[in-house]
Amino acid sequence: MSIKADANVQRWIATLPPIAWALRQARETLIGTLRQGPIPQHVAFEMDGNRRFAKNNHIETIEGHNMGFEALAKVLEVCYKCGVKVVTVYAFSIENFNRPKSEVSGLMKMAKLKLEQLCQHGELLDRYGAGIRVLGERALIPDDVLPFVDRAIEMTKHNTDAVLNICFPYTSRAEMTAAIKATVDEFSMPSEPPATPFSQARITETIRSKQPKRTDSSTSLREASPDPAAKSDVDDSVSSTTTLNPGSPRTEAKGKEKAIPFKDAESITVDSINSHMYTADCPPLDIFIRTSNVMRLSDFMLWQCHEDTHIFFLKCFWPEMDLWHFIPVLLEWQWRQKKEREGTSGRRLKTE
Amino acid sequence: MNPQEREELLKPYLPSAPRLREASTKRKQHSNGTASGLGVRNVLKKQFYALSFALIHAIFSVYIRIRIACHAVYLRIVSVLYYHHHTPEYIQRDVQGLSRKPKHLSVILSLEEGGKRLDAKEKLISEVADIAAWCASAGIQMLSVYEKTGILKDEMQQSHREISSKLRNWFGKYQAPDLHLHSPNMPVVHPSYYSAPAHKGAGEYGIAIMLVSEEDGRESMVDLTKVLTVMAQKNKLSPADITSDVIDNELTSSVMAEPDLLISFAPYVDLQGYPPWQIRLTEIYCEQDNQSVEYQVFVNALRKYAQATFKLGK
Repeated sequence: MSIKADANVQRWIATLPPIAWALRQARETLIGTLRQGPIPQHVAFEMDGNRRFAKNNHIETIEGHNMGFEALAKVLEVCYKCGVKVVTVYAFSIENFNRPKSEVSGLMKMAKLKLEQLCQHGELLDRYGAGIRVLGERALIPDDVLPFVDRAIEMTKHNTDAVLNICFPYTSRAEMTAAIKATVDEFSMPSEPPATPFSQARITETIRSKQPKRTDSSTSLREASPDPAAKSDVDDSVSSTTTLNPGSPRTEAKGKEKAIPFKDAESITVDSINSHMYTADCPPLDIFIRTSNVMRLSDFMLWQCHEDTHIFFLKCFWPEMDLWHFIPVLLEWQWRQKKEREGTSGRRLKTE
Repeated sequence: MNPQEREELLKPYLPSAPRLREASTKRKQHSNGTASGLGVRNVLKKQFYALSFALIHAIFSVYIRIRIACHAVYLRIVSVLYYHHHTPEYIQRDVQGLSRKPKHLSVILSLEEGGKRLDAKEKLISEVADIAAWCASAGIQMLSVYEKTGILKDEMQQSHREISSKLRNWFGKYQAPDLHLHSPNMPVVHPSYYSAPAHKGAGEYGIAIMLVSEEDGRESMVDLTKVLTVMAQKNKLSPADITSDVIDNELTSSVMAEPDLLISFAPYVDLQGYPPWQIRLTEIYCEQDNQSVEYQVFVNALRKYAQATFKLGK
């Protein structure tokens, strides 16, 4: 009750014209100032503590979530104004489905409501110039929520200045699994043979016609006793032995069938897995922020928090998050960037 | 709340409409051509921003230096007050009251100055040995040490000798815990007198150290993908069979299991390429602005871990 009253009083004061003006000016100045330094390209928020905030302040849980939504709006404004390109927020974890059924349905109702609100405020979202993307297991989104998700994505498709990634329902392990699966899929699909004027059949034909009888018999002899090990590993042995031998047409057909050209598995790199992550086209994660003093990643952005990601665990609850909590983080990040640059250039000077 | 009310709520945080913005920039361009009033104002504004940026960062720099100094002083004082005197009993006393302890502790260490100094590796090994001794005293039997370059994995026999000798200094020759040095894809280094696995078991004082480096992170997942791809190409597996359980099982048995607590001895949390799969629910502890491997950080991490409430998806 008191927190609500406080908030009301605060809001009332903040809306007094001179104070509102001064606050806005202060905010604009700060943001304009911070823009002078390096700006992170990709920031992730794990919005933790809505419910604990509500509990601590004796307000309803849903009110806590509403205040969390307001906090998100504030933070997004600051981020995009500062020039952050991509903001990723963790809205709903796949693990959240393990919560009591009533709570899950309540959360889904809220998601629907929020997305509906987003759609109602489509033109307001355009002002951020932010396109919404929903990352996660699409199949797990309940049928009644899905149309709202699609509408929100559709409505903001034309915004390319910035991206808001909403992770819903998401876990990082599911993401990594999906990426590995997609990579395996990609590499186990027969790839199109590269376009070339040379015909393999013609080459084989030429070789065969030029081959003396002696080698011919020896190869067919070798082929006559095929060893089982080679049979199971035919894909490695490629077409060379099987198609070059002038054996019976049966084995030849078999050889051709087996020698489907696959992409070489050895050519898989970190980048090929990376390209199948939900965040493939996003810049690398610069800042990871988790609120409410919990020091875990909790299955969020595990792959992306690789290196050069600065992880901040803040003590405040998410509904309390605003410009004044975000600025110290940004300042410290800028300070570390400066240090790092000085460090590397200093070291380079030393070695030279 | 109806939509209008919500819009009112959000209005103060919204930037001006894009149409308005465009119009204003156009106007500015126009005015640049005709009257330089706005142009000058823009330049001044920029100057002002640059100035205040310098000012804010100067202030912040002072603040952060004071903070670093305060933390350093605090850590010094505490570590003098609660020094472990190289006695396992003191450490046992320190961790006695904790409601829960991690079974598997992980630490991130880094080579000093990028490993340019000759004794960098020795220093690293002595740090590992210290942490191993603390763990053994606190009753933690599994320790994994992440070091980015993997320098610890070279000459594991020698590392084993050095760490064992340090453990003997701590515990005495006969009470020293059996040390088992693991590393992904490498044979385990046991103590030389160690015969059968059931000889002592992972008895009261046994400790296993797992050495992990950058190649066990993303790279190991790439390797796993390669294997899965080859299997799929040979039709031994369909991509639909790949579940997170399969991957988890493989990575757990070939690299390492998920640690319960991860301590970073750096001034801020920097994972440096730590295995991404394994860090899912790991409690991360980092003593702000701390620079070195300190016993006090270890104890603080254990205390924090004991306090942390644990709930998955709730």
